[in-house]
Amino acid sequence: MNPFELVQARSVEEAVKAMQEKPDAKLKAAGVDLLDEMKSFTASPGRVVNLYKIKGLGGISATKAGLEIGALTTLADVAVQQEYAALAEAAREAATPEIRNMATVGGNLCQRPRCGYYRQSAFHCLKKGGDKCFAIEGDNKYHAVFDAGKCPIVHPSNLAPALIAFDAVLHVQGKDGERDIPIAKFFSTDDVKRENVLEHSDVVLKVVLPVSTMKSAYREVREKQSFDFALASAAVALQIDGKSVKSSRVVLGAVAPTAKRREDVEKLLEGKEVTPKLAEEAGAKAAEGATPLSMNKYKVKLIKAVVRRAVAAAAELKEEQP
Amino acid sequence: MGKPRKEVSRRAFLKGAGAAGAGAALLGAGIAPPKGPPVLKKKNAVSFELNGKKVGVEVEPRVTLMNALRNHLDTTGPKNACDRGTCGACTVILDGKPILSCLMLAVDADGAKITTIEGLAEPGKLHPIQEAFLDADALQCGFCTSGMIVGCKSLLDANKTPKVDDVKAALAGHLCRCGTYPRIFDACLKAAERMK
Amino acid sequence: MSKKVKTKWGIEGDVKDVEVSIADDDVEPWGYDAKLAVVGGRHRRPGGDLIVTGRAKYTFDVNLPGMLWGKILRSPHAHAAVRRIDLSKAKAVAGVKAALARVQVGGHVHYAGQEVAAVAAESEEIAAEAARKIEVDYDVLPHAVTCEDAMKDGAPKVLENVENVSGGRRPERERGDVEGALKSSDATVEATYSTQVQMHSAMESHGVVVRWDSDAQMTCWASTQGTDAVRGQLAQYFKLKRSNVRVITEFMGGGFGAKLGPGPFGVIAGELAREAGAPVKVMLDRAEEQTAAGSRPNSIQKVRAGMNKDMTLTAWDIDAHGTGGVGGGWGLRSPMIYNFKNVRTKFAQVLTNAGSSCAMRAPGHPESSFAVELAIDELAAKLGLDPLEVRRKNDDHPVRRREYVVGAEKIGWKNRPRTGSQTGRVRRGMGLASSRWGQMVSTGAEVNVVCYADGSVEVQSGAQDIGTGTRTVLAAVAAEEFGLKVADVKVSIGDTNFPSGPASGGSVTANSLAPAVRLACDALKKEIFVVAAEELGVKPAELACADGKVAPAKDPTRSITWKRACGLLGGEKMTRSGKRFENYKGYTEEIGGVQFAEVEVDTETGVIRPRRIVAVHDCGRIVNRNGAENQVAGGVIMGLSYALFEERRMDRATGAMVNPDFLGYKIAGPLDMPAIEPVLIEMANGRNNVGLYGLGEPPVIPTAGAIACAVLNAIGRPVRSLPMTPDKVLEALES
Repeated sequence: MNPFELVQARSVEEAVKAMQEKPDAKLKAAGVDLLDEMKSFTASPGRVVNLYKIKGLGGISATKAGLEIGALTTLADVAVQQEYAALAEAAREAATPEIRNMATVGGNLCQRPRCGYYRQSAFHCLKKGGDKCFAIEGDNKYHAVFDAGKCPIVHPSNLAPALIAFDAVLHVQGKDGERDIPIAKFFSTDDVKRENVLEHSDVVLKVVLPVSTMKSAYREVREKQSFDFALASAAVALQIDGKSVKSSRVVLGAVAPTAKRREDVEKLLEGKEVTPKLAEEAGAKAAEGATPLSMNKYKVKLIKAVVRRAVAAAAELKEEQP
Repeated sequence: MGKPRKEVSRRAFLKGAGAAGAGAALLGAGIAPPKGPPVLKKKNAVSFELNGKKVGVEVEPRVTLMNALRNHLDTTGPKNACDRGTCGACTVILDGKPILSCLMLAVDADGAKITTIEGLAEPGKLHPIQEAFLDADALQCGFCTSGMIVGCKSLLDANKTPKVDDVKAALAGHLCRCGTYPRIFDACLKAAERMK
Repeated sequence: MSKKVKTKWGIEGDVKDVEVSIADDDVEPWGYDAKLAVVGGRHRRPGGDLIVTGRAKYTFDVNLPGMLWGKILRSPHAHAAVRRIDLSKAKAVAGVKAALARVQVGGHVHYAGQEVAAVAAESEEIAAEAARKIEVDYDVLPHAVTCEDAMKDGAPKVLENVENVSGGRRPERERGDVEGALKSSDATVEATYSTQVQMHSAMESHGVVVRWDSDAQMTCWASTQGTDAVRGQLAQYFKLKRSNVRVITEFMGGGFGAKLGPGPFGVIAGELAREAGAPVKVMLDRAEEQTAAGSRPNSIQKVRAGMNKDMTLTAWDIDAHGTGGVGGGWGLRSPMIYNFKNVRTKFAQVLTNAGSSCAMRAPGHPESSFAVELAIDELAAKLGLDPLEVRRKNDDHPVRRREYVVGAEKIGWKNRPRTGSQTGRVRRGMGLASSRWGQMVSTGAEVNVVCYADGSVEVQSGAQDIGTGTRTVLAAVAAEEFGLKVADVKVSIGDTNFPSGPASGGSVTANSLAPAVRLACDALKKEIFVVAAEELGVKPAELACADGKVAPAKDPTRSITWKRACGLLGGEKMTRSGKRFENYKGYTEEIGGVQFAEVEVDTETGVIRPRRIVAVHDCGRIVNRNGAENQVAGGVIMGLSYALFEERRMDRATGAMVNPDFLGYKIAGPLDMPAIEPVLIEMANGRNNVGLYGLGEPPVIPTAGAIACAVLNAIGRPVRSLPMTPDKVLEALES
């Protein structure tokens, strides 16, 4: 990697200011993703602003409003929280034990895509300011089957679908002070060079999950069982009243440039009792509208599978586990 | 489900805060003028406890913990096999938890307590996991072995009676291209048995 | 001159008394009933303590005083002419001590990843930064990185002066009447089987540390599987006497066929070290390793095959091609094992603008095996025949015939479901496939065995241990001869100052060296018995070594200790050499092996989960049981990873690799492991005085085929393309 200056921020204010001073600065939490990018020369910031030593940005606490997860909380700590099953499962499925001990919630949400073209400096793609996407005509086996647009990455965050399912809110501090961003509005494809709405100097402080009594589950399919990114994933949360679904959230991961909430599937579930048949119908519905690329038609079937499984698991239906 | 349980969560909070806030002490040259945060540029003094001994090293901010250990502290047990956090060969135990030394800046380890493969054996006495690896011949080329043993150590620190599936899950981030996994699982289980 | 000796060889239930001709200077082979105390046991590997404590120094770990780090700049283009190279900005980076261009202006690069220039700097970080400051202008030329693109009419020429497509090693041949046989077969299959490019992906990348000891003398620490080859090629390139080049490989982190020479990086390190006047380390990073350090070529195999109801394999007709990148090296061995009555093969090698192939663990064999085994099972399914019986009917190899029985019993073959009979979401299947490999040997191999005055023993060989447990094999044989324990023998290897050892390729290391150790030990024992006999008042010929003592074989109570006997030799130490003679006749002259796989296929996701693999293999006499089982399981795992996950993915438009890392290039990890059960056939084989042969390569050959056959059994449809990823399984299910 290229040399850089490291600003050892002691407070969020210092971090925001240090970011404001340099347009080529990057924020670093643990550095799991940023170091990877810098070693590959995908990113070469002249300044890195270190959030890692700021006190009070880590840890999970329960408040009246719900569960507050500090931005520097590790995935390992999220994986053992018990209240929001889909979120814990998503954290447990992410990466590896060592990485879960390092990687932070903030970093997980702000990590860059795993697209092979984006990750190799040899490809000057749209996301890096180039004038073409190599994946659309090239190797797109692992890319988006929804909303591909001009840059068909899939968002790599495991936590994102689960957080959307729980209507989480991000607390962010930027040059104009603190503000809240509902997670559903956090991810964005408006600017192809970014995956979210954060501005240059914005620091994620924490994620707040409203109190929830929903039953939830997260399911994903991947090629390898050891350290692999999902081919498709789904987070499902169900508010079950008596026997029938009162309200629900169905969110897809790894199949679109952002985690994708499917309100049409939620509608299908609502007011009904969850049966294996209904779970299957939900899967089929979730696959509707997909527009696969040349090499990723298979993902449409995987969406059916992960949604069916997540719905069945959230409703605690018994089923054969591979 | 139900309401968040406050007691559990407070413990989790303390735990998480401890990990993230560890070692706020800052050292080194190139510190910016007063009031602003320290800015590390060229070489910076970093010190940590390495295998029970205080060590210090002067490195640029871009030097990873792995390279500080391997290239500056002659601690070449943690191996560089991918340098991207995808193989586990550089695993060390930092403040009680296994982490990948290639994905951490050395300056972020300032003040930490680090155990590498070199720190497991006592003088003249191998660690039971090391003994078990030799007995099970749980290695071929041996390049992944440091990381595997440190990974097993971390598992056994947390779980005294693991099953084979626990071992697989704990080592999920470790690659062995020679394909020694089954013997590594055996060695880890054997070591757990002996350490009871 | 040769002499005739009597021995016994064979496997349990088929042991034969035979007479063989062996070299006059050779020792008699250990026969089937040889009573061996150490050989065949389980031992801790000598040197293992250094590895498990992190103190073993691999090439990557060698840090010399004043050493610099070299970094190579590589072409981003698959095919280009170099217009300009400017090193000045790289040289201007503080800490850079040397820089060089590897390609002349006007010269061409032929793949993305080819070496263009390099720097040496005071730190790894500075070297990586500075290499990117080298400015290179290219005229980009048309390229082809897939076979399809390179075979098209009007395809760009991959290399300037060579045709893209050539006949390869064996262009076309026919035995019998393939067309006639296909017409009259009870069942035929016509299909295309394809295998991917696999990367060696050793955990330690390629690399060297080069130190010039004087203008005419060099020491090179190399991560290599051929110390002599590195010495020879470095000496040739730098015009040095071989005697003045020393290569050291005390520990090395895997090779699998890709590390048989110094490589361009070794030469670059030597040049940089000379220019800088300091030692230079060049280790490839993971992306370089995955793009520019060798691969197993792909294959596209158009097959027509026939079988009759009586299980006769009537015909095998294959028209296949594949690419080893810019360097060639493509080849298949098809149909490899079974007795097809009529065979026609047509092979073509295709050049592409991709990194060159290198020999990879049984080159050409897993590729061939996959197509042959799956095609046979497709035929068997059509005729309702048992794949196990089909193989037994069509295979004469005496050891494999035993292995079919042993493996079938162990996996529970009788519980195999009928192909296509299942309807559940998760379906289970079993399959089997076979292995064959030559019993190759490196007859140039020599070893030294040293007995010191205090009774300590050292075995010395220039050969390296690529992870197979070479030290254990050598120590076990010496310990056996001297009546000692493995831990009593020091093994010093991986240094060209020691006697010449084989390159570790073709599964030759153990079987080339172990018989030489016996000879050297025998020569030392002759000397020791002379002095010991005098001490004990007996004749030298009456003496034997056992339990750390030297004593008359018939009266072990009158003994002296091994230590005392060595002391009687006088002097500090005595060294004797042993060499490896040619192979003579044996029970078998080809290595066997049969594997059985049991898998589960999730038909909803297309994910295949192998549950058990029973791998029955033979290696002649087992010297180091741990090592042999380790080799077998390791081969199975590499084969499983090849079957299910691994694939080099190239971008056709730019010609660059999309997945040169361990996230995109997927290698099986701990959670992907089934239960693996290695079974070794106990045997004595003749051919050399120990009776062993190689085992490094055979276990990787049949795994992909066995898994593919199990998948066919489970879902009733063949998946004819590797790796068998969910997309392909789901597509097969849809067909």
